[in-house]
Parts: sequence; structure tokens; C-alpha cells
Amino acid sequence: MTDQEHLERAYRRLLAWYPREFRRENGPEILAVLMAGAPPGQRRPALAQSADLIRCGLWMRLRPSVPRSARTVRAAVKLMYAGAVVSTVNLVILLAVIADIKIYHAILGYHVTAAQVSHVNQRFITTFIVLCAVPIALWLWMARACGRGRNWARIVSTVLFGLATLNLTSVFSWLPPGIHLTLVPMIYGPALPVLYWLVGLAVVWLLWRPASRAFFRPPGCTQAQHQAQMGEFDHEAQMAELARFRARLPRHV
Amino acid sequence: MAMRAMQEATFMILTALADGAQHGYGIITDVRDISGGQVRLRAGTLYMALDRLRADELIAVDREEVVDGRLRRYYRLTPAGTRQLAAEAARLQAHAAVALRRLDLAGGMAT
Repeated sequence: MTDQEHLERAYRRLLAWYPREFRRENGPEILAVLMAGAPPGQRRPALAQSADLIRCGLWMRLRPSVPRSARTVRAAVKLMYAGAVVSTVNLVILLAVIADIKIYHAILGYHVTAAQVSHVNQRFITTFIVLCAVPIALWLWMARACGRGRNWARIVSTVLFGLATLNLTSVFSWLPPGIHLTLVPMIYGPALPVLYWLVGLAVVWLLWRPASRAFFRPPGCTQAQHQAQMGEFDHEAQMAELARFRARLPRHV
Repeated sequence: MAMRAMQEATFMILTALADGAQHGYGIITDVRDISGGQVRLRAGTLYMALDRLRADELIAVDREEVVDGRLRRYYRLTPAGTRQLAAEAARLQAHAAVALRRLDLAGGMAT
């Protein structure tokens, strides 16, 4: 296999990070650009080039396919992705500090030995990973479904927000007295659940705004009918913009 | 509503297309040249931007060619893209003029 063939194969593998539809439309063209920019003798993609392709490919998969006209839904979807990012960061922090004895002291309020920590770690790590992975999956699922105009996703998001509200009350009631929240407030204190709850509140508020209604396909409505409605929705917005523009014109024009 | 400032990569891509239709690799080399080598677009970033600009109808596909067995798609500015680039260039020029005027004033006072 020649150097060029080797490099092209590696680039094709990287392009697999993109959604199939985008790859079908733009893949050969991107590949042509990548190969045109490769110096002679290059056999592997540069690290920066690979990172760029993976980043962009992932973004193309995750980005909301919400039209600009549905601003409230776009904002809600962005907030849901932000929630997923915060949940992921939370999971990473938890895994980083889970073996730290000082943290146990800060949470539980008493000293534990290294042996006790290593004993509980296995169970704790599994529990923490599951507890953190579930919200990440839910944020991503809801963002994706809401971004595609699924009305059920709007309802499920609202139900999940209701559950988060119940969870929030349990966070405050569970907190043992005497814990100083200044040491690890972002990890174990109520700050993070409160932040999640506020994000959830904003998401639900945005999803049920009158401006979002047109984007969500009502049950029983076909894709074609919904698109026609969206077209009408956009048309109305354009007509309103035209009316505003006309109002600004001098009378003699 | 206030106009959102355009990202530098977007501005440079539209600037590259202001001179006529270009294909992907042509845009990358042109952007590198007009920025004096400061802006180096990677293929992933370029095609993400091109996809967004097409969706916003600021650019359109001009034509497609096959060169050495590889697809070349040429992009051109749409009238909306031309208007937006002109508006952004004017905005940047106005800001730069204020900055330069103030720097001149500060230099004059210092000497």
C-alpha cells in the first residue's frame, strides 16, 4: 500500500465521526481537501488534523437541527447540552477525588482509614458512575429528541424536571447538619443539584413558550404536514418583518 | 436587536469568496494568504463553517468538477452573503478607525 493510500484510509476512518448524511454529501470533497493539503510522504494524519475532524464530526452529530426561527427551542437544546457537559465534568471530578480520604471526612464528618476507603471504593465508584451517567444520557437524549421536534420529548423533559424538583428537596433534607459546604460545595453540596434544577427550569420554560409550539409536531401530524406548518410559521415571521420594514419607510415611498 | 459579531473564520471564508467562486482547498490557501499566515483553517472547521453558511444562505454551491478523480465543489457568495460581509467589514473598519484615532491622540499627547 502506498503512502497516499495509507493516509487516505486513515482519513476515511476519521470521517466516520461525521453523521452518515453529512459524510455522503461532503465526504469525498473533504477527503480531496485533506489529501491536497498533505505533504508528500505523509502516511498518518497529523494529531491536530485528527482532533479537528473528531471535534467537528462529533459536533455535527450532536448539534441541534432546529431552524433559527425557533429561537426558544434552540436555546432550550443548547441548555440541555450544557447540562450534559456539566454532568460529565461532575463525573470526572468524582472519579478524580473518590479515593481522597479528606473528601470522605468533609462529606461524612468523620475520619476513615485508607483501608476503609479502598473497601468502599469499588461499590462507591460503580454507584457514582451510574448515578452520573444516567443524567448525562437523559440530557443528551432529551436534547436530541427535542431538537428534532418530538412532542413526547417535551412532555418527558417536563416530567423529568418534576422528578428533579423532588430530588432537589431530598438533597436538602438528606444533608447532615454541621457539614461545611465551603470545602467541596461544587461536588457534594446542593450547589450542583440547584444548578441542574435551574437549568431544567429554564429548559421547561423555553420548551413551553408559545414561540416553541410551532416547532413541536403534534401527535397524529405527519412529517410533511408539520414541515408545511413550519413553512407557514416562517412565512408569518417573514411577513411580520416585511410589515415592520414597510412601517419604517417614508410615507411618499 | 443588535447584530452579532461574525466569527473570524466565517469573515475570512466570506472574504475569500468575495473575489469569486472557490473550492474548499482554494479557500484554505486563500484565507492563509490574506491573513498573512495567521488564520490556518483545517478541513473539519472549514466544512462545518461552509455547512452553516449554506444553511444560512450566505453562500451557495456554484459548480462541481472532478479533478484527478476527486470531487471539487465551488462555492460562491449569495446576495445575502455579500450584504452581510459588507456590513461586517464596515463595522470592523469603523471600530478600527476609532482605535487608530485614539492611539494617534494618545501618541500626540505623549510626545
